[in-house]
Amino acid sequence: MTYETVIGLEIHVQLSTQSKAFCSDSIQFGSAPNTQVSAISLGHPGTLPRLNKQQLDYAIRLALALGSKINLRNTFDRKNYFYADLPKGYQITQDAQPVCVGGEIEVIVEGKPKKIRIHHIHMEEDAGKSMHDSDDPYSYIDLNRAGTPLLEIVTEPDLRSAAEVDALMTTMRQLVRYLNISDGNMQEGSMRCDCNVSIRPLGADYYGNRCEVKNLNSMRYARKAIQYEVQRQIKIVEAGGTVAQQTLNFDPSTGVTTPLRSKEDAHDYRYFPEPDLPPVVLTEAQVAAIKKEMPDLPKEVRQQLVTEYQLSEYNADLLTVEPEPARFFLALAKATTSYDAAANLMINKILPWSKEEGKPLTALPLSYAQLAEFIALIEEGKVSNSIAYQELFSAMLNAPEQSAANLAQVNNWLQSDDEDEMSNWVETAITDFPDKVKAYQSGKKGLIGFFMGEVMKVSKGKADPKKVNQLLRERLG
Amino acid sequence: MKIDDQLISRLENLARLQLSATEKEGLKTDLTNILGMVEKLQKLDVEDVEPLVYLNEAVNRQREDVINNQVDREAALRNAPDQDGTFFRVPKVIDL
Repeated sequence: MTYETVIGLEIHVQLSTQSKAFCSDSIQFGSAPNTQVSAISLGHPGTLPRLNKQQLDYAIRLALALGSKINLRNTFDRKNYFYADLPKGYQITQDAQPVCVGGEIEVIVEGKPKKIRIHHIHMEEDAGKSMHDSDDPYSYIDLNRAGTPLLEIVTEPDLRSAAEVDALMTTMRQLVRYLNISDGNMQEGSMRCDCNVSIRPLGADYYGNRCEVKNLNSMRYARKAIQYEVQRQIKIVEAGGTVAQQTLNFDPSTGVTTPLRSKEDAHDYRYFPEPDLPPVVLTEAQVAAIKKEMPDLPKEVRQQLVTEYQLSEYNADLLTVEPEPARFFLALAKATTSYDAAANLMINKILPWSKEEGKPLTALPLSYAQLAEFIALIEEGKVSNSIAYQELFSAMLNAPEQSAANLAQVNNWLQSDDEDEMSNWVETAITDFPDKVKAYQSGKKGLIGFFMGEVMKVSKGKADPKKVNQLLRERLG
Repeated sequence: MKIDDQLISRLENLARLQLSATEKEGLKTDLTNILGMVEKLQKLDVEDVEPLVYLNEAVNRQREDVINNQVDREAALRNAPDQDGTFFRVPKVIDL
């Protein structure tokens, strides 16, 4: 029998606020253990949580981007469970009335668009971190992360393969980065997902029992975990069994999923309204104000690059994967009108520079005006494309205080339009290869390229290719 | 709802309590009485009554996103049953 994989995701996005969800501890990543804590995050009695306004604003921003309905009145609940890295014994989350309901996101899978429906988005807080392996029989707890603001995005079971999960996570990461609400960094745990995986006979209109694979913090692991889980479930069903609904852990070192919660009682979260936090009541005006300040969405920016700046679809894609290059391009496009050249400069020089140096684009020591000058030197034929890209750009990086034109001048990179000098180069190239000249004259016109190359070699790239071409044709006859 | 031994032991487990046989019997009586009262309340007609969740009418107790009020590590760890000066130390638990 052929089976179909059915997957729904719970995506946790850690928000890039300054402080925690319900108290004012810092959430900076990588600080010394237990230094970003307070009476509230430690769960001491007699303390009261207060919602971080920024978390609410970010939730609304995401809802607007996904076309979700915003619950103008939404409330918090307690999710009760025992774990050493959860000091209060409950997690503050939203169960009955989450901040956003519905919505959808379009992903591209194998070149085709597909819409994934969103069930809801809710605000909640993260737990602390446990370290298990350093000193048996103890676990060590760091509560810096306890109380970090999260948004959980719960999708409908609309995904059908690991590739679609990959596409959704990538698109979601791009979106949260454009919205400036999270760095979307999976390695640092800023974005993680739980996958609800089930199988059913292809074409069936019911869902099979689902298993929840927890805490997948990289796309590679998510893909492997799903592949393993699907095979495991098919084997059970083929053998006439029933898949037990359970929570699983994926071990990246073995590639195997194993039950995480052996006691089914642990699933009994006993949700109830959080009495310490009054309801959130929003007005349409507040939502409208956030909408007005919304950054451009990736799809919109991509469209703008294609229609307004006439970039190829390919270049537009490359420049809009991340928000920074897109913003950089839009700023650069204000300094020059050679948009295509600007895109090429970014793709071939500026983005690789950022990657090699491990620095953000904003750290480039050259101004937009300098980059525009670089582009103009090529466009006006003053510096050849190859010299500009191979020599001039690095020279500019090494001496950002000098103008591009000046650097080209002192390094003798300006293209020559001196007719005499050019004629000499052409002459040299021709006299060196009498055989090729004969061949050209007897009809092998393709050899013009060879002579061009020779002239460029002799002139060290300084000859203006247009003029050389013209001179060569005249000279060769 | 019937309060039986099985339910008591499930609650015991959820609340991470270890109860003696006498305590369990006492709890069984108490819970039966409490649920009895709740059952009585459930007979009331509350069709047109909004559920009362919050005891006052305040909404939107929110704060600006600024860092403040942190405590240092020494103070944070001071009241812990066990710690090593950097971390809280607890019996090893992996399975939830």
